[in-house]
Amino acid sequence: MVISLGLTSQALTNPGIDLEFSFNQAIQGLGLSSELAHLIWLPLPMLLVLVAAVVGVLVTVWLERKISAAAQQRIGPEYAGALGVLQPMADGLKLLVKEDVIPARADSLLFTLGPVLVLIPVILSWLIVPFGQNLLISNVGIGIFLWIALSSIQPIGLLMSGYASNNKYSLLGGLRAAAQSISYEIPLALAVLAIVMMSNSLSTVDIVEQQNNAGLLSWNIWRQPVGFVIFWICALAECERLPFDLPEAEEELVAGYQTEYAGMKFALFYLGSYINLVLSALLVSVLYLGGWGFPIPVEWLADWLGQPTNAPLIQVITGSIGIVMTVLKAYFLVFIAILLRWTTPRVRIDQLLDLGWKFLLPISLVNLLVTASLKLAFPIAFGG
Amino acid sequence: MLGFLKQVTAYTKEAFGAANYLFQGLAVTFDHMRRRPITVQYPYEKLIPSERYRGRIHYEFDKCIACEVCVRVCPINLPVVDWVMNKETKKKELRNYSIDFGVCIFCGNCVEYCPTNCLSMTEEYELAAFDRHSLNYDNVALGRLPTSVTTDPSVQPLRELSYLPKGTMDPHDLPQDISRAGKLPSEIIELGKENPSTINLKKTTQNPTQIEPNQE
Repeated sequence: MVISLGLTSQALTNPGIDLEFSFNQAIQGLGLSSELAHLIWLPLPMLLVLVAAVVGVLVTVWLERKISAAAQQRIGPEYAGALGVLQPMADGLKLLVKEDVIPARADSLLFTLGPVLVLIPVILSWLIVPFGQNLLISNVGIGIFLWIALSSIQPIGLLMSGYASNNKYSLLGGLRAAAQSISYEIPLALAVLAIVMMSNSLSTVDIVEQQNNAGLLSWNIWRQPVGFVIFWICALAECERLPFDLPEAEEELVAGYQTEYAGMKFALFYLGSYINLVLSALLVSVLYLGGWGFPIPVEWLADWLGQPTNAPLIQVITGSIGIVMTVLKAYFLVFIAILLRWTTPRVRIDQLLDLGWKFLLPISLVNLLVTASLKLAFPIAFGG
Repeated sequence: MLGFLKQVTAYTKEAFGAANYLFQGLAVTFDHMRRRPITVQYPYEKLIPSERYRGRIHYEFDKCIACEVCVRVCPINLPVVDWVMNKETKKKELRNYSIDFGVCIFCGNCVEYCPTNCLSMTEEYELAAFDRHSLNYDNVALGRLPTSVTTDPSVQPLRELSYLPKGTMDPHDLPQDISRAGKLPSEIIELGKENPSTINLKKTTQNPTQIEPNQE
């Protein structure tokens, strides 16, 4: 996990908040070498993102329970903390102290490795999620492609845990999860490819940058409405959320590949699925909803108020607005996902594969071709 | 070529139709966001069972004449009437009576047909037990009266549906003396005594003993 040089060059072209640069200067001011300063800096953003991811999951779990309750005219959790905000913490604590059971005649190594292999790629993908101009761990050149590559490791973990559990439900769940992930990865990648084609870059920062020329109107959702829908459907399928939660379909498969898991290993799956949901929502907001961009560009507002864009206060405000906007957009999408959960019935496995291969794949191919031709025809509007 | 185009059109229409249905469903789900919860916090709050609620059966041993009508009208001949014929008095002598509530379907036929009204239905519905055999109530257990929801100090009784005032859906924080929608049977009887012509025959023939059980 190396902080790329792209960051510094970005910082030169657009002087926003660059925490790393300032931190390194401060450390070097204490008389330490720049390499040492870099080493001290390195774990900080990683830790921050890990904490952000876990807090994001706690919030999402609480939201999921409260919104589900509202959709069913229930109250939901209300005794653990005000309005039950501490309920996810209580759940997590319970899972933490529960007995760790490995079923008889299960492959203990693979059984333990499975959930880890599911969780790590998801957390690693947070590497590329930008909350602002320089507010991301690493502006790697392959950016969004890294996420697609990492997310294809997940089915291996699912299959591994399903197979190692020595349970027919787990095995079926694992197989379903693998089939689902593999078939939805392709339309997902094609939808991303259309975006990449328009922004001429795989880097998430560049993708957001080219959406923020004119605020709300320049967001990718207007240029890629079909791509947006395809991406969202595929993201839901990748997260194994309803209507695509067949790998863990309670009525048929008990809990799918999670059947034999308890305690902390189950918590890893649980955490993984929710981190994945938040991550998908964040990426949708980055790719299609202008990322950290405010509906009206902050630069315009600053100009209108007669403030210089590079004043420290304005930069802090811009940075905060960026973080708030990204999170707000992501949580709006999480809300839509929860609403969808209580609206749509679960699809059958054949319907799922039909939708993936016979509907989304051709549509996303057509979308890609149309985007390419529009890019040739109207290079101004489609990033020529 | 035209056939292919037709196919494509039909397919597109179908896809858009499906999306339309999806949005309709989402609208319904979203509409629920503004509806208030109807939760009853069960062990602390309980709904007041409605009139003629068919709960656990109450039985009065002393009234029973061991005629076994209850057994005959029961769909599965459930009540066990244990009696012997006393040769000297030439009368039935009842020794035991029991109903197994693990099997009973609470249809109320026995209550309906009992010639001496020794059977009646209570408001009790909390019959959970650790052993199903403990649901086989004998005449002593059948003779116990349940604690009423309205008199239990540890329970907040809640009214439901038609027992609420007109237009109200939330049973919480209602004024104590507020009446339910429409007239109570007792009020109708009072009205009938004053001016018999104002009410129709149907209402006067109602059971006069049937009064509102839900006054808190």
